Amino acid sequence: MTAILRRNAPFWISIACGIALWEIAGRSTSAAFMVPFSATMLRLWQLIVSDQFVEQFFDSARLFLTGFVIALIVGAPLGLLLARVRPLRVGIEPYIMTLYATPMVALIPFILSLMGFGFAPKVLVVFLFAVFPVLYNTVEGARSIKPELIEVAKSYRSSEWALWRDVMLPYTLPYTMTGVRQSIGRALVGMVAAEFFLSSTGLGQLIMGASQNFDTGGVFASIFVIGVIGVLLMRLGLMIEQHFARWRQ
Amino acid sequence: MSQQTIGLTATAAKPASKPASGDLVPRLICGIVILALWEGVVRMFAPAYVAKPTTVAMVIPKVIVDPQFLSATGYTLVAVAEGLAIALVVGIVIGLLMGRSPAIERVIRHYVNGFYALPMIVVLPLFSLWFGYTSGARLATIVFAAVFSIIMNVADGARAVPKEYLEVAASFRSTRARMLAEIVLPAATPYLLAGFRLAAGRALIGAVVAEFFLSVGGLGYFILFNSRTYHHNEAFVGVLLLAAFGVGFELLVVWATRRFMPWYRRDEK
Repeated sequence: MTAILRRNAPFWISIACGIALWEIAGRSTSAAFMVPFSATMLRLWQLIVSDQFVEQFFDSARLFLTGFVIALIVGAPLGLLLARVRPLRVGIEPYIMTLYATPMVALIPFILSLMGFGFAPKVLVVFLFAVFPVLYNTVEGARSIKPELIEVAKSYRSSEWALWRDVMLPYTLPYTMTGVRQSIGRALVGMVAAEFFLSSTGLGQLIMGASQNFDTGGVFASIFVIGVIGVLLMRLGLMIEQHFARWRQ
Repeated sequence: MSQQTIGLTATAAKPASKPASGDLVPRLICGIVILALWEGVVRMFAPAYVAKPTTVAMVIPKVIVDPQFLSATGYTLVAVAEGLAIALVVGIVIGLLMGRSPAIERVIRHYVNGFYALPMIVVLPLFSLWFGYTSGARLATIVFAAVFSIIMNVADGARAVPKEYLEVAASFRSTRARMLAEIVLPAATPYLLAGFRLAAGRALIGAVVAEFFLSVGGLGYFILFNSRTYHHNEAFVGVLLLAAFGVGFELLVVWATRRFMPWYRRDEK
């Protein structure tokens, strides 16, 4: 117990210093500019109690999960298919690379004017943010499969199905999971972007509303929550990635 | 037989990632198919103002000499360059300190990780409160978007410096500041470039989002304004240019890594 405490002591001291710094900075500037930690937590508590917060949170979560899961369902199998069918891969890879490097936010105005304010356009934004890392990393993984592996499988007269199940899938999974980790972060950005620039809902709307009412405490409280969610999701992504990468080392 | 060719081209293509001449045909075919699909779908199902390849191609000559478009591109590029320059300086200094001093690392590591995981867009409302709806808020967003990936990568690079280098320098009575500048920094450069590649992409996104949100003049605002007034074709030229910048940054870093650090393999990300 004390060993755990001692090991984590620097972490807690560092967090405590950060909170103290935040508190001091907040108290010594105007309330419109920065809100101290204590006031931020108070505002957060008010938001939670008033039920607004919980509702918005689940709204955002629904958007995030829908877009992310669709991205996964489309990205991973498509990546595998591209890896197996060489001409298709060679042909389409540069375009995937280009889309991977394009700032997807630039498409939001088009999506807005074509699809309007419903739930579907927002899912599309999250999907577009999330799909390319999965796709790109799966292709990258599948094309680094050692040709000997496939040759051996072939010379033992492996069927196409068995080849996919026993060679391609296990080999590419760690790469796909790297893509999943990147996608989680991107999907979160996409979620907030969709909530800012398409119909305002969820946590994005919470921030926007607070900022428009000059409720700096509300802005800080929502940013704090999204930050915590971001850190937790990133942790989760790393755990997933490491879980699947274990055998690769 | 076909498996063998997969293996050969995969290894051959990896370090260069240049198209072999045999790859050009499938690439062109795929490109044409994608464009044709796009054209067909839009013609059949979408209203006339929606961007499609033929109409976009038609407006390109007009848009790229449009002074409004050119100045918008200039604003965005200058802002991104400024933001990246600030982020580089700040990121290198903090990253080096963090990588070489366990005490500093322990204090700020969680904050760097936390801010890196924070979707950069959420700070926009806050920055608009702090800086107003100005280009200053855009610059701040770009710096915020870019700096943490540079810090993290430089710190990783500084940590990975071989101990012998530093021991030799120390035994020749080098000062710590000189060791940082002349040994640790050069040794961490490949990491720095990897971080810069991430940072450049994020900075571009930050600039566009900030322009959407703050209505500050620039390429993002050009796209927003034109798509709102149903000039989708003109707006799409802006998207194409952004994509070109994204790819351009990417290629620049790959080229720089190969040109200046030929010993460094970029496979390991």
